[in-house]
This record gives sequence, C-alpha cells and structure tokens, in this order.
Amino acid sequence: MSTTKTATTAKKDTRLIEALNLSLGNAYALMGLTHLAHWNVEGPDFFPLHKAFQEQYETLFEAVDEIAERVRALDAYAIGGLSTLAKVAGIEEFKAPMSQKDYVAALIVAHEKVVDDGVSTRDLAGSLSDLQTQDLMIKQIQWHEKTLWMLKSYLKG
Amino acid sequence: MFEAASTSTCQTGPDCTAERCRWRCAVDVIDELLRQPGAVTGEEMDQLLEFRWQLGQATAAEATLRLFSALRIGMERRHYLAFFRIRRWLENHIVSVCRSADGAHEQRVPVRLDHYCVEAVRRVSLCAGLSRPDRVAGTRIEFEFQNWPVVAAAPRASALALVG
Repeated sequence: MSTTKTATTAKKDTRLIEALNLSLGNAYALMGLTHLAHWNVEGPDFFPLHKAFQEQYETLFEAVDEIAERVRALDAYAIGGLSTLAKVAGIEEFKAPMSQKDYVAALIVAHEKVVDDGVSTRDLAGSLSDLQTQDLMIKQIQWHEKTLWMLKSYLKG
Repeated sequence: MFEAASTSTCQTGPDCTAERCRWRCAVDVIDELLRQPGAVTGEEMDQLLEFRWQLGQATAAEATLRLFSALRIGMERRHYLAFFRIRRWLENHIVSVCRSADGAHEQRVPVRLDHYCVEAVRRVSLCAGLSRPDRVAGTRIEFEFQNWPVVAAAPRASALALVG
C-alpha cells in the first residue's frame, strides 16, 4: 500500500525524472566511449583491455534499458537521440587515438562523473521514499565503483 | 558520436569552480598527492610545491609547463591518474599563441601535452597553428594561461600545512 503512495509522490516530482534522465544520458555516453575504447585501444595489453571494455559496455547497455524503463514506470518519458543524450550527460569525448593508459584514465574520469550524479539521484529518490529508484541507483553505483576499482588497479605503477 | 559533449571541455572563467571541474582542479590533485603518506619524495615535494605556486600565480605558462614536464617524467609511472588529470586540466587552461615574425598574424591553438618535453609540445603547436607552411621560419610560439579560474591556489603556507 505504501509503495503506491510513494510512487505517486515520486511520479509528481520532476526533479527525480530529470535526475534519472541525467543518469540515462550518462550511461549512454559512457557506453559509447567505452565502445570507442574497445575498438581503438592498441598496445601490449590489447587483449585484456579489449575484452574488459566489451564487458563494460555490455553492462552499460543493460543499465541504459533499466534506467529508461524506470523513467517510464514513473509515468514519464525517457530522453533519447545521440545529441540529446550527449548534451544532457556532458561527458567529454575522447581525443582518440590515445595510449592504453589514457583510455583507462579517461574512462575513470567519466565513471567518477556518473557516480557523482548517481549518488545525487539515489539520495533524491531516498528523500522521496521511492525505494525502487533508490535500489536501482544503488545497484548502478555499486557496479561503477567496482569498475573504478578495476580501472584504477590497472594504472597502478 | 557525442558532438555536443565534445565541445564542453573543462569549465573555465566564472563557472570554473572546484566542485564543477571534471578533471579536478590541478591544485586539488597536487594537494591529494601531498596528503598521501609516502607518495612523493622530498625533492618531488619541493617541486610540487613550486608547481602549485606557479599555478596560483598563472603568469609564467612556459615555466609551468617545463616544471610539469619534469615532474611528469619522474612521477607519472607511480601516479598516472593524477598526472592525467593535471595534464587534461593544463590543456584546458594553457593556450599556444603562434605569432608571425612581423606580428601581423596571430593564432591561438589549444596546447596538447602528448609529449614529455616542452620543445616537442611547441613543435606540435607550431604545426597546428601555422596557417601557411612557408611562414614557419619567422613564427614564434608562446604559451599563455587562458580563462584563468576564479579558484586560485591557496597560499604556499597552507599547502605546506598539508604535508605536515
């Protein structure tokens, strides 16, 4: 019963929809950049990085769908189209080609931005008692933080 | 693919605040390095403090780049991410100014720090800034700070406090 009430509160709050659409744009932009890194990375670590980047963009593809469907579940519309998603996300594009380490470092910076925005969305959902959105964002943040750990470990000298 | 995002580089000018900086302000990155126990040697600490001071002054772009290059050569292997952040930040705040010998032509191009020495950076800037290849002989390159952020480096004394 309370779920219905909280969902109604969340549905009326445009801030939450905007925050979710920001997370959607972030995930989509990061997916595109990770794909770019997957294609263009070169060097002695090509195989592990190529494979790791593939796993990451595949996970991000699922995340995009989950976030967009959460927006629809809140009776709002998900943003779409490459230019709109990019404008919303504001994640800087790579200047490819780059070194292996620069791809990893640039992805770290992008993941950090996604986490920062994700935390804001999670907290907003919490303040609106929208536990489903909060749970979704916690799951997303956990994955980004785990990925950050892995990427940062690669850069350790 | 993401054209709109590609044009929105690091925040500069009035919007440049530590909270909004995607690369984190270079001064913050230096402070983080100084805070980490055992992360830097005594000599590196001196150089980092000097670099931090130069960023705060924002008057000698070439000297700042030279010091950055020296630090990068010595420290990047151990602190790659920190130097990546500083490198990207410098690229957003320092510009190469190409001037023809007669001073009639001037072109400002973004500085690219893909190389480890300032002369190589200068050469890349020269190639990027030349409107006509036959003008190369008399063209001079100078580095300048651009859109210097509102967030200035804290006084050197407070930086020293970070390292105890």
